[in-house]
Amino acid sequence: MSIQNLNTFDPFADASKGADDDVQDGLVHIRIQQRNGRKTLTTVQGLSKEYDLKKIVRACKKEFACNGTVIEHPEYGEVLQLQGDQRENICQWLTKAGLAKPDQLKVHGF
Amino acid sequence: MAEDEAIFDQSLKKKKKKKKTTFDIDAALNADGGGGGGGGGENEADLGENNSQAGADDLDDSAADIDLDFTKAKKKKKKKPFAASDDLDGFDGKPEADDRQDGVHRGDQDGGQEDNFDLELDFSLSKKKKKTKKPKNLDELIAETEEKEEDQENGCALVESISETVGENRALWAHSDRDYTYDELLDRAFEIMRDKNPDMAAGKKQKFVMRPPQVVKIGAKKTSFANFTEICKMLHRQPKHLLDFLLAELGTSGSVDGNNQLIIKGRFQQKQIENVLRRYIKEYVTCHTCRSPDTILQKDTRLFFLQCETCGSRCSVASIKSGFQAVTSKRAAIRAKTA
Repeated sequence: MSIQNLNTFDPFADASKGADDDVQDGLVHIRIQQRNGRKTLTTVQGLSKEYDLKKIVRACKKEFACNGTVIEHPEYGEVLQLQGDQRENICQWLTKAGLAKPDQLKVHGF
Repeated sequence: MAEDEAIFDQSLKKKKKKKKTTFDIDAALNADGGGGGGGGGENEADLGENNSQAGADDLDDSAADIDLDFTKAKKKKKKKPFAASDDLDGFDGKPEADDRQDGVHRGDQDGGQEDNFDLELDFSLSKKKKKTKKPKNLDELIAETEEKEEDQENGCALVESISETVGENRALWAHSDRDYTYDELLDRAFEIMRDKNPDMAAGKKQKFVMRPPQVVKIGAKKTSFANFTEICKMLHRQPKHLLDFLLAELGTSGSVDGNNQLIIKGRFQQKQIENVLRRYIKEYVTCHTCRSPDTILQKDTRLFFLQCETCGSRCSVASIKSGFQAVTSKRAAIRAKTA
């Protein structure tokens, strides 16, 4: 019979694993930027590092029929960048694919 | 959610005048229809239980005057009771808001002050709004004006229509000692509560009338937000804070020029700015607990805190971060500049 209280429990186990999945609070920021004319860019920042962003971008490009790329940023990590206003698409797609929960998504821009 | 939207009422200043004109129509209708009560009765037939909710909405409309909604709704729309939302949705302009309000009130009356603070990720919203411009037909108009008139006749009529239905209910109760349904009792409790203190905040939605932002194009690549400082004053926020937020959200650069207008790089429409402003208000102006717009934003050890003057709550709000910015200008030009 073991004594529960003497079991070793590391209260910092969570902390050593690092913050959940993101730089902070696990939010996925979806932003839009205007380019020249009526062209726009959609950026997705804060996707979990466990995912292979290259594969994600490949799937997205096919799904939304747009071009896209993964950008390595010193502060924000890997950022997905898609051409055109894909905010709505990417929100739906991410939730459908189970890559992010709807309440994790934060959409910026107009 | 409706509570979280500010009404940017285009006709803020003209309000009074227009009211008067509609009132005349009302009077005429009144003569025909034999009073608001009669009109309400007709409506009732159509709307059934909807009426009570409508009533609640009416009341809200008349009593508080913050209504977060940017729609350009002219006077008419504004005055219109949210009552007949079922029929009126068609030309409503902001049907979703109405639906939501209905939902909220239903929730309230069912007992739970449900928290409808969820942020909508639904972009279809704007599209929907666009396609809902239908010609009004006469019946709807009449119903509308009748409702209006009810509104005006008794100021705090909490809901004339509620009292109508409730009145019937009461009459029913008087002759039998059956068990009352939960809804009936709840309606009654709410009615009494509102009768006793008309300016009670609970159970009523906070409306927040905003002047719409004046957005003008400057040339092909810039946009001017003409009443930027005015809006800052209305919100009691530092222009710099709002500026930071706008620029971070829109992902551009900009500055305030000599005429106190904000010049933003890029082309933006009023609707888009309204959207961003609405988000700003939701996050940094309205109290997260009681949704009162009467708040102060303080900076405390690098964090912003929102202190509510109404309920005294104090909570931290997210800091403004612009996040990742993709390179949108010509890379060669950047290289030439830095090198």
